[in-house]
Amino acid sequence: MNIEEYIESGQLELYVLQQLAPAEQAEVEQLATQYPEVRAELARIRQTLEGYAEAHAVQPPAAMRERVLGGWQQAIRSTEPIVTAPQPAQAQTPAQPEAVVRPISAAEPAETGSSWYRWLAAAAVALLVLSAGANMVFYNRWRDAEANLLAMQSDQARVASTMQVMEKRLGARTQELAVLRNEQFAPVVLKGVPAAPGARARVLYNASTHAVYLDVNNLPAAPAGKQYQLWALDKGKPVDAGMLTARTAAGDSLQQMKDIASAQAFAITLEDAGGHPTPNLSALTVMGQI
Amino acid sequence: MTEFYDKYSSALYGVILRIVRREEEAEDVLQESLVKIWNSFHSYDASKGRLFTWVLNVSRNLAIDKIRSRQYRVGSRTQPLDDSPAEHTPAVATFRPEHIGLQDMTRQLNPDQQQIIDLLYFGGYTQSEAAEELNLPLGTVKTRARAALKVLSKLIR
Repeated sequence: MNIEEYIESGQLELYVLQQLAPAEQAEVEQLATQYPEVRAELARIRQTLEGYAEAHAVQPPAAMRERVLGGWQQAIRSTEPIVTAPQPAQAQTPAQPEAVVRPISAAEPAETGSSWYRWLAAAAVALLVLSAGANMVFYNRWRDAEANLLAMQSDQARVASTMQVMEKRLGARTQELAVLRNEQFAPVVLKGVPAAPGARARVLYNASTHAVYLDVNNLPAAPAGKQYQLWALDKGKPVDAGMLTARTAAGDSLQQMKDIASAQAFAITLEDAGGHPTPNLSALTVMGQI
Repeated sequence: MTEFYDKYSSALYGVILRIVRREEEAEDVLQESLVKIWNSFHSYDASKGRLFTWVLNVSRNLAIDKIRSRQYRVGSRTQPLDDSPAEHTPAVATFRPEHIGLQDMTRQLNPDQQQIIDLLYFGGYTQSEAAEELNLPLGTVKTRARAALKVLSKLIR
């Protein structure tokens, strides 16, 4: 093949203009590897067409820049998996004398922009999960605290009611002590009759206020249905001075009895529960003179 | 890609506009070109020519696909190429100022030569379509294309 003629035929021009059938293209490419003249001619034609194209250059409107680059970014993001394909090509391009490859890597800021958003989204999700975990922890602690508070409140109520009882008892004791220390109360010792020799009680009688208090030292336990009754003997006549409560009979505390205007002696009899208008003298337990 | 855009957009836009002749379509094609260049960069073979040629061909082919897909050519075939808006837009002075302006270039080509180049390069015509259009034998298309490129080559050097 006469290579000069081949070059002159215009076949190379058509090749660069992409006008050849695949078989003819292959032929041109094969010849280009074989003949430096063909290579040089191809380079010249390409350069010419590049120059011709550049001569037609039209600066696109400024607003188009953002639109086109934005559209490009959107398009490549939607085809992300394919984008990984250019990697080997990028590796090969440094062998090329031109530095025009740089613009491709200049797209990286846009990429990092989108990955920045991805990081932001990931961080947001992580924070949400952390927050949910913290909520669980705090919710459990809050429930514990609530249970503790309820326990403390019932405890406190119990202590308060105990306190009230104690205060009441203290008040009663203070009153008893006041009676015992009062000089106006004359103590009357009641001693056991021969039938109950161990029995012993004491009456505190205030002649001016007519107040009567009874302090039991020891009385036999009253049988069921029976109750002790205090009597005042005024000029030989028995006057009802009130029933002894079970606690008084057990010697637990002082008991204020009915007021007695005047008396020379006191006595306690065992009567039916609820008392009796007149004493059953056969059931006399203790007795004492003022 | 922004750097790429700043470097090549006016050249690509000029070629695309020259082919599709409508600004909205030219914008679409420019954007498609960027996507295609990005996605098929691995198919660029440095041994088959400079990046600029490859990039130009990608844009050119997309633009030609566009006019073909819309049967754009049916209406525009009889339209003289000189009427394209790009023809009346002066080349941007800041872009490679060492190159001779389009006016000077086309003035140096005789009408036959310009017609053949524009049909083949910007018209999306195949060589046989061009031969038919110009009523020439195929061989003449070839030699005329060569003659035209020779003239241009001298101007561009």
